[in-house]
Amino acid sequence: MFEVRTRWGRILLQIVITLLVLPYLFPLFAMVQGSLAGDGWGNYEAVLAVPGLWRFFVNTVVIAAGVIVIVYVVTMLAAYGFGKLRIRGREVYFWMLLACLTLPEVVLLTPLFTTAQAFGFFDTYWAVILPLGALQVPFAVLLARNFVQGIPDELFEAARVDGGTVINGFRHLVIPLTRPIAAAILIFTLIGAWNNYLFPLVFLQSTEMQTITLVPQFFVGQFSNDQTKILASAVLTAIPEVVAYLCLQRLFERGLAAGAIK
Amino acid sequence: MAETSVAERGVRENAPAVSGGGRRRGRLQPHGLPWILPALVLCVGLIYYCIWYTAVISTWDWDGIDPNPEKVGAENYLRIAQDPIFWGTIRHTVVFFVVTFVAQTVLGLVFAVLLHSRVKLAVVYKVIIFIPVVLAPAITAPVFRGIFAPDGQFNWLLEHVGLGFLAQPWLGQESTALPVLMAITVWQWTGLTFVLYFAAMGQIDQSVIEAARIDGAGNFRTLVHVIWPGVRGTTLAMAILSAIGALKTFDIPYLVTVGGPNYATEFLGTYIYRKTIPQSHVGYGAALSIILLVLALVMALILQVRGGERRVVR
Repeated sequence: MFEVRTRWGRILLQIVITLLVLPYLFPLFAMVQGSLAGDGWGNYEAVLAVPGLWRFFVNTVVIAAGVIVIVYVVTMLAAYGFGKLRIRGREVYFWMLLACLTLPEVVLLTPLFTTAQAFGFFDTYWAVILPLGALQVPFAVLLARNFVQGIPDELFEAARVDGGTVINGFRHLVIPLTRPIAAAILIFTLIGAWNNYLFPLVFLQSTEMQTITLVPQFFVGQFSNDQTKILASAVLTAIPEVVAYLCLQRLFERGLAAGAIK
Repeated sequence: MAETSVAERGVRENAPAVSGGGRRRGRLQPHGLPWILPALVLCVGLIYYCIWYTAVISTWDWDGIDPNPEKVGAENYLRIAQDPIFWGTIRHTVVFFVVTFVAQTVLGLVFAVLLHSRVKLAVVYKVIIFIPVVLAPAITAPVFRGIFAPDGQFNWLLEHVGLGFLAQPWLGQESTALPVLMAITVWQWTGLTFVLYFAAMGQIDQSVIEAARIDGAGNFRTLVHVIWPGVRGTTLAMAILSAIGALKTFDIPYLVTVGGPNYATEFLGTYIYRKTIPQSHVGYGAALSIILLVLALVMALILQVRGGERRVVR
């Protein structure tokens, strides 16, 4: 965007962006540095030696995977319906769905709490997966619908002329062509599910059901507020997400560029 | 406009299809309702049920356990109207929204423009800016509590750059706790603004920018007159998302300051939680929730309508 012709101008640009990015790096640096203070790598060993930590990871993975599967399936079906099929009063349904975007999760606490207890969901994965999925779907549908709308109609018509059914159109056109936006949805859903704090805090009471976002709090008790161990646990819980983002970064950007909110 | 006409056409085509059976009209698009049904059942079913349930509870004086709660009508709402803590949360939310939105927009825009220019190692910068988005507030909160503690890294930094006189207990006093939370939020979410702007800028027609340059526009004028209008859609979407985000704010204030000191960082979300779970005033919490919901919807509508008007004017 910026055109810089001189060599000094280019160097200046590089310096400016480096200075601007430093404050973003600082907390990350403080986190890693703090986690290595005192016992050094011993902090990590101590954290990894805590029984049950593995269990927290597994719980989070199960919940995140469950939410991702539900959100992906439901969103792709809906994006195809909203984007390419005819629905009477389509915009009304769409706005009903979008209104859910404004809903803060705290509002769901009491109703879900009583409902989950009534149906025996309380303290199970479902008590977290279902509401998280419900909260993620509207944004995912918004992204995916724009993307599906951008697929040329001719492709679907050609498929129909060739005798393909609606379901084939979905399987052979929508699913493969939406991969970039699916990556964006995957990242957003993963972030939302992996990072959620409130639902596990309230709906998962027993120790073996806890998720990793509750780990720092858990270690406050476990290590009587030993900051270095808490930070080591923070670094450990952050790694999977950072890795996932780095792996999907390219696709993610392509998806946003093509289907971004406009 | 094209959007609505397509939708209307869809409705009209649909009407005879329902009575006469859509099968014969092979060339028309098939029914879409079954495809969107799962999403509707999950979201609208679960969420609208919860809203209705919350609305009912909000007229009770309920501790969450009592099987026969007392029905009190609008009393919870009347009490909220006179609750100074509630008005405090509204003030904090407004300040929080304005400051974080402006800061994120400016920073996101600057980063997007700089990284669209010829900068070396652009991927590294992108990743650094986006990583905070990926990290859970629950994970970063202990880090920030450490950084802004009286003996934390931030005060250490101030002392080492000769600004030691500015060192203070950032989170422990009412005047600085909220600004620190806003800084943390900006740190966390700039990456998202940046990525969306970066994507939107990629869509601006390069020939328009070149034309502006040929007409003699410098970098700054190109930014103001070509790029900024070109990403208006993204700015509007971000305004809606941040406004709703500000109303929803929970994790960061709850985990970093627990709404304190002396309610200086209490937000609607943390206040609802405090009332509902630790204090067991479930009815009161539900009434707060309904107010929060109405505010969020009104906010989204206003921004949507204003944005629409501006688009028409343009």
